[in-house]
Amino acid sequence: MSIRFEKVDFEYSPNTPFAFKALTDIDLELSKDKMTAIIGATGSGKSTLVQHLNALLLPTGGKVIVDEHTIEAGKKFVKTKDLRHKVGLVFQFSEYQLFEETIIKDVSFGPKNFGISEAEAIEKAKRALKTVGLDESYYERSPLELSGGQKRRVAIAGILAMGPDILVLDEPAAGLDPQGAEQMMTLFRKLNKEKGITVLVVTHNMEHVLKYCDEVVVLDHGKLLMHTDMTTFFENEKYMEEANINPPSIIRFKAMLRQRGLDIPSDILSIEDLARYLSRRKGK
Amino acid sequence: MKNVTLGRYIPLDSFFHKLDPRSKICAMFAILIAIFIPAGWIGYAIIGTVIVSCIFIAKLQLDFIIKAMKPMLMMMIFLFVINLLVVKTGDLLFTIGPLTVYTDALTQTAYIAVRLVLMIMLTTLLTATTKPMDMTLGIEDLLAPLEKLKVPTHDIAMMISLALRFIPTLIDEADRILKAQSSRGVDFENGKFGEKITAIVSLIVPMFVSCFQRADDLADAMEARGYVVGAKRVRYKTLKFHGGDYVVLIVSNLILVGMILIWIFVK
Ligand SMILES: Nc1ncnc2c1ncn2[C@@H]1O[C@H](COP(=O)(O)OP(=O)(O)O)[C@@H](O)[C@H]1O
Ligand SMILES: [Mg+2]
Repeated sequence: MSIRFEKVDFEYSPNTPFAFKALTDIDLELSKDKMTAIIGATGSGKSTLVQHLNALLLPTGGKVIVDEHTIEAGKKFVKTKDLRHKVGLVFQFSEYQLFEETIIKDVSFGPKNFGISEAEAIEKAKRALKTVGLDESYYERSPLELSGGQKRRVAIAGILAMGPDILVLDEPAAGLDPQGAEQMMTLFRKLNKEKGITVLVVTHNMEHVLKYCDEVVVLDHGKLLMHTDMTTFFENEKYMEEANINPPSIIRFKAMLRQRGLDIPSDILSIEDLARYLSRRKGK
Repeated sequence: MKNVTLGRYIPLDSFFHKLDPRSKICAMFAILIAIFIPAGWIGYAIIGTVIVSCIFIAKLQLDFIIKAMKPMLMMMIFLFVINLLVVKTGDLLFTIGPLTVYTDALTQTAYIAVRLVLMIMLTTLLTATTKPMDMTLGIEDLLAPLEKLKVPTHDIAMMISLALRFIPTLIDEADRILKAQSSRGVDFENGKFGEKITAIVSLIVPMFVSCFQRADDLADAMEARGYVVGAKRVRYKTLKFHGGDYVVLIVSNLILVGMILIWIFVK
């Protein structure tokens, strides 16, 4: 069982004056049951890449393999529905996809599309809403009268209710207040740890990568720049420089300490751990 | 969605791209009228040759123009069928069961088809070589005489330019919502009638919501920058005629006169 890109190319509007090559020769194997961050500058192809995972975009070269599904360039892919049931994709600004009169209806819309009975879909919707932290009082309200952050929770619940094995989130925290963003990321981490859902998250926030993710994929101008585990990524300043990334504050802090002759072990990655480590050192 | 080529501006550098939008709009109207003058096949051959050469001069690819016609294909087929059923003059060509086909039905359909094709080529030539903003400036200038009749020409031009400005945005938006709903298992291509309806609702409601939102934001943004409806405004960019503009105007009007002459004397 795997998620693999093999020599994937993707071109928007091929054979027109607007043709644009958004992905070039992507070879990538994503680890299951992990939480992986996809990072890169705006326009580097992150959204394009993730849309290949549930066949919203079909590769124009190479192939994408998701478990038993193989999407090959030039071949017709027919099991779209099965694949979309397996891979839940939450779009950037997902709050704009809500359309039903009540929240419960909107969240149960996804499961119903996959042939699940009405009653069961409502059950799933209730569970999903609970997971994202919206209680019963919300069920009968209109999704349009919620705040932006709440709308996004409803949209995410709409995908969770489908029961995906792989959850893909395109900039889920963009535009949320810092606290809301943290809650969101905590939720995904919990889903990953407790339910064993493979999570892929596109993000610009390095603090989030550091705090919540296991692996890092870096894209640059449609090419795969690197794919490593999180600790290796943040240990090597060279990597971050190459990826043109401003390191998180704790990493910068550690670098400064190192310059002054104080080496901090690489597994210390939060302010709390660092404080504890330093006080223990002092005690010795 | 993105593959819609009808009405899109293609940023190239050609004789036509540099022309004044006013001369292009006027020339287009002259040729458009010429197309509707029944000058027979000779006339269409002349207009067709002129338009195709213009497309080459504008450095546009012919297959781009052909793509622009795709949305019209259904309409042409529809017209063709209607004509076959309705037109019963000319010689009897053949009968299939209860259906009788006359020569006039074929020639009339062919005429309409040729006219449509020419019209699409012509308008695509205009829209592909003129930036939407220049187009509205041109329209506003051409409408200027109507201001004397208290027609709010500037407001009209502003509405047109806002509409044009938002077409690509709305296409992007529709594309995104379409994909988001597809991820939730909506099948926009197949599916039974009932499912089709739900599919469309799931696209239209979010589109409406975001359109109103955008309109609100835009109005605020315009007011914040001092836009007042009906106020007198000066222009950042002024249009100017050059040599090429006169050539285009003269050639297009000559074609129009030529068609009228052919119509009167040849027929
Ligand atoms: N529908 C489209 N048609 C043409 N080009 C596109 C389309 N969507 C994205 N692109 C282009 O592809 C590149 C990658 O886009 P995207 O995957 O959205 O980047 P990211 O999500 O990393 O910001 C960008 O340069 C963008 O302009
Ligand atoms: Mg993106």
